[in-house]
Amino acid sequence: MTMLGYQNKVLRVNLTDKKASTEPLRMDFAEKYIGSKGLAIRYMYEELKPGVDALGPDNKLFLTTGPLTGTPVPCSGKLSVAAKSPATGTMNDCSIGGHVGIRIKFAGYDMIIFEGVFDQPGYVLIEDDKVEFVEAKDLWGLGSHEAEAILAEKYGTDYSIMSIGPAGENLSKMACINSDYYRQAGRGGIGAVMGSKKMKAILIKGTGGVKVPDIEKTTDRILEILHEDVLQEDNTFVYDAGTTAFLEACNDGGILPWKNFSDTTDVQWTEYNGDVLIQHREGKRGCGSCGLGCGNFLKIGDAVCEGPEYESISVAGPNAGIRDPYSIVKFNQVADDMGLDTISSGDTIIWAMEMTEKGLHDFGIKFGDGEGMIRLLKEMATRTGVGAELADGVKIASEKYGGTEFAMQVKGLEYPQYEPRGSWGMALSYAISDRGACHMRAYAPNEEVFAASIPPYTAEGKGQLVYDLQLTNAVKFSLCICDFWGTLTGNYDMMAELMRLVTGKDWTAEDMKDVGRRVINIARAFNQREGFNRTHDTVPKRVVTEALQNGPAAGQAIPPEAFEDMLDQYYEVMGWNKDGTMPEELIQSLL
Amino acid sequence: MKITIALRGTLKKYFGEDQERIYEVPDGCTCDEALQIAGLNYREIKNFGFVSVNNKRVMIDDKLNDGDLLKAFSKVSGG
Repeated sequence: MTMLGYQNKVLRVNLTDKKASTEPLRMDFAEKYIGSKGLAIRYMYEELKPGVDALGPDNKLFLTTGPLTGTPVPCSGKLSVAAKSPATGTMNDCSIGGHVGIRIKFAGYDMIIFEGVFDQPGYVLIEDDKVEFVEAKDLWGLGSHEAEAILAEKYGTDYSIMSIGPAGENLSKMACINSDYYRQAGRGGIGAVMGSKKMKAILIKGTGGVKVPDIEKTTDRILEILHEDVLQEDNTFVYDAGTTAFLEACNDGGILPWKNFSDTTDVQWTEYNGDVLIQHREGKRGCGSCGLGCGNFLKIGDAVCEGPEYESISVAGPNAGIRDPYSIVKFNQVADDMGLDTISSGDTIIWAMEMTEKGLHDFGIKFGDGEGMIRLLKEMATRTGVGAELADGVKIASEKYGGTEFAMQVKGLEYPQYEPRGSWGMALSYAISDRGACHMRAYAPNEEVFAASIPPYTAEGKGQLVYDLQLTNAVKFSLCICDFWGTLTGNYDMMAELMRLVTGKDWTAEDMKDVGRRVINIARAFNQREGFNRTHDTVPKRVVTEALQNGPAAGQAIPPEAFEDMLDQYYEVMGWNKDGTMPEELIQSLL
Repeated sequence: MKITIALRGTLKKYFGEDQERIYEVPDGCTCDEALQIAGLNYREIKNFGFVSVNNKRVMIDDKLNDGDLLKAFSKVSGG
């Protein structure tokens, strides 16, 4: 069975044998999980043996598109990059922008699965049905930016390039994968999985297209949707300011963290606010098939990056006790080049700052030390100096040196930059997220903080709220649509219409919700098989024991019983057991 | 009493070129009422987000004091 919109083909690449083969896409999976996030997790559940070593040859790297990828559907130029996470031991799917997803589709594949491990550092060159394996000794050890530049010079810009930096090579559990220089599959140590396979880069060129049922009808309707829904003010703020616009909103909303989440808000936030940063903008860009163009290139002196996004501004700014825009941009640039996730590496450094200031262990860095952050990034990526002790993230470092009560992580994944004491639902969202503390699974501040009348400081109703947010993102990301098409969030009718336009099948809004429920559950089933349950759905001790001092959420700590209440609510909504496990019949219904 | 109203994000268009405006409002005026005096009804603005007073988020029906800075934000989403 085949379906329009899909290429109906998987490329399987074995690095050990240096062989590639193709096979039909499992359409029984696609019908239940659509593509991208959902499809990748379903394949992981099927193909990864329980307990597989995330950094061993039996872990696999899944690059997964969706049926909308490569079509003119707005904001569909994303790609899921998935594997078992070395940071958490859970499943892990990351979303990366740029053009690589579209090129995979144009090369004729819905999905590429990398198996095994190179005997020597190498890269894989894919052009339509040709797959080459090339030695990369000269690239090993280089920064991701330099490696990509060398490969782009050699092969031309018709190829999309995914690469790792030294962090991935050295198996840092915070390593990311880069593409188009400044786009990242960032979280959960996905770059270390690539590094464990000694695969420095993946190059992809495709010359084909995507078949849809009625190209004229599809294009006409997509253009209507682009103008009527996508290019509306709710979404276009990302073109004007990108996520720098979040800074003032988060500051006033009481969720901008300060000095390793010891407090919120900063009286001097205007020194690095979005309008200040945007003055240094030198260019713009968007991903393939994007109508919004969120990418801002900033340059301050010798510091340049695409971004910085809100997360990086926060972690290298107020959360590090730093207010200097140059330091923030430089941090972003170096983290990208070293191949380190800015959130996890930043959180680990600010924890080390607090450890040093409290005299618990001297990591040689204190709050406010922008130069020290750059030094530590390089040391973490190369496992040298003090950085060697921090290279695997804040959970492992704190278990060795203490300070677990202010190690801001869940399941080994460091906290994103939304303080949960100012948005209680976010504490639940981080706790139940399938890959550890992630803000992209259910973005609670949107309902609790950035809304005129919903109280954020209560557990009431938060189980349902987080589920509703998680459901819509599970569908959206399985369609492979970017989060910045904000008005698509919760619009299941439009999601179903997009699927009808591209596949010709009669998808309904209820079908979309069914897909979302399966996606959430199959991720949980994978994690349950790895031994995860309620005891792993946690909140850092700081959040439940230390009240905030400043901002609108001053005085707030989340009472432990309120956190447990939110967990109970959520499990009930999901139909899970009290201990966070899933009934066997629910698991069987997913397969 | 006098208050200052500033608009953020895509709400800025309602004040044209002005970064912020000063308004004379009745004592005990709520954020909602002050915005209506400035010509904004949050119920009718689809992408209206939230309000803060003196850089702290408040509820839309909270009362203002003389000299307050009331900011209204458009929605932000996307993480």
